[in-house]
Amino acid sequence: MKKHYSTAIVLAIATLVGACSSGPRTTSLLDQTRSDYRMAQGNPQVATYAPLEMKQAGDAMAQANDAANDNDSAEKVDKLAYLAKQQIALTQEVAKQKAAEAQVANAGKERDQIRLQQRTNEADQAKASAQQAQLAAQVAQGEAADAQRRTQLAQVEAADAQRKTQDAQARAAQLEAQLADLAAKKTARGMVITMGDVLFGTDLARLNADGMRSAQKLADVLQQNPERTVLVEGFTDSTGATAHNQALSERRAAAVQNALLELGVARERVAIRGYGESYPVAANDTAQNRQLNRRVEIVLSDNSGKISNR
Amino acid sequence: MTRNSRQWFTVLCGAAIVLTVGCSSLKTPATADVAVSKAAVENAAGAGGAQYAPLEMNAAREKMALANKAMVAKDYKLAIELASQAEADAKLARSKANSAKAQAAADALDDDIRVLRIELDRTSK
Repeated sequence: MKKHYSTAIVLAIATLVGACSSGPRTTSLLDQTRSDYRMAQGNPQVATYAPLEMKQAGDAMAQANDAANDNDSAEKVDKLAYLAKQQIALTQEVAKQKAAEAQVANAGKERDQIRLQQRTNEADQAKASAQQAQLAAQVAQGEAADAQRRTQLAQVEAADAQRKTQDAQARAAQLEAQLADLAAKKTARGMVITMGDVLFGTDLARLNADGMRSAQKLADVLQQNPERTVLVEGFTDSTGATAHNQALSERRAAAVQNALLELGVARERVAIRGYGESYPVAANDTAQNRQLNRRVEIVLSDNSGKISNR
Repeated sequence: MTRNSRQWFTVLCGAAIVLTVGCSSLKTPATADVAVSKAAVENAAGAGGAQYAPLEMNAAREKMALANKAMVAKDYKLAIELASQAEADAKLARSKANSAKAQAAADALDDDIRVLRIELDRTSK
């Protein structure tokens, strides 16, 4: 009983002594420092940016650990642990600083790139607006040239129209002169040229030399005024049979038509009609008056080739 | 006799040298350590340690003051310990200030870039 009691006490003392003597001494500060050290080791930025500081921290850590392993006083262990802890913190700070500086360098490059892009954008925009302006100028120039061309065209057309008017006026004047030469009279049906009996042989349906000259003049007029046609009307006096007179008037009209055809006037432009003794221009009482009634009247159409009937 | 006295003289000289070296080795490193720590504290203060790491800076200054007191009290061992702690604190304060400044510069630049990007997006549309 007593022996058992004493054995237990000896065991307890042995355990206590063993516990104290065995195993390195540690303090809460040392534990904290070791934890900090492991964190620094696990930080890739520390390995990259602060290897020298990390080595110094490792040396300080080793001194603290050695002191703990040598069972030095807690006070000494804490002092060394404190120095190691501060060195580890410094290592972390240096790593942070270098990382931030690297970030600054990178950001500087990035900023320059963005600025360059900005300038490029601005230059592109300026170029685009310049091109647009140039295009607009070209368009305006083109429009101006177009307007000028149109103006010239209009001037040409005006000149053309003027020339045509002048031509028409000239032709009208010429026609008038020629018709005056043919002793044409202006009537409600148009210009009427009367070829008197003297241009035919008596009771004959053939033009004499004077008659042919008149026909030539008329043919010239028709040649120069292709839009006009003529109606040739034959008349006689009341001497002789009516049927004979009708036939004679038709033959005389046909004689004029033939003369015109021979002179190159197209057949469709020369219509003929015989009226016999109808439509006398004078009483058939004297030889002079009867001569007036023996005649051929040539009616000149208007510009569209129309002739109104008697 | 002359030989004996000569030996004594040699021993005395050696003892004197040992003492001198011993004393100087105890006193001079402490002065040097304190001076180095003082320089480190001043360096940290110049780098803006008081602004960016006030805790470490105060600790360094207090330990520096204590180290100076220990020097006056001729407790060179304590002086060296305090000086080395003050140096560690001061160096940490300095590197904290430097890293904070570098980080601020990086942040400012990042802000710059963000603004530029917004501008670029707007103008390139």
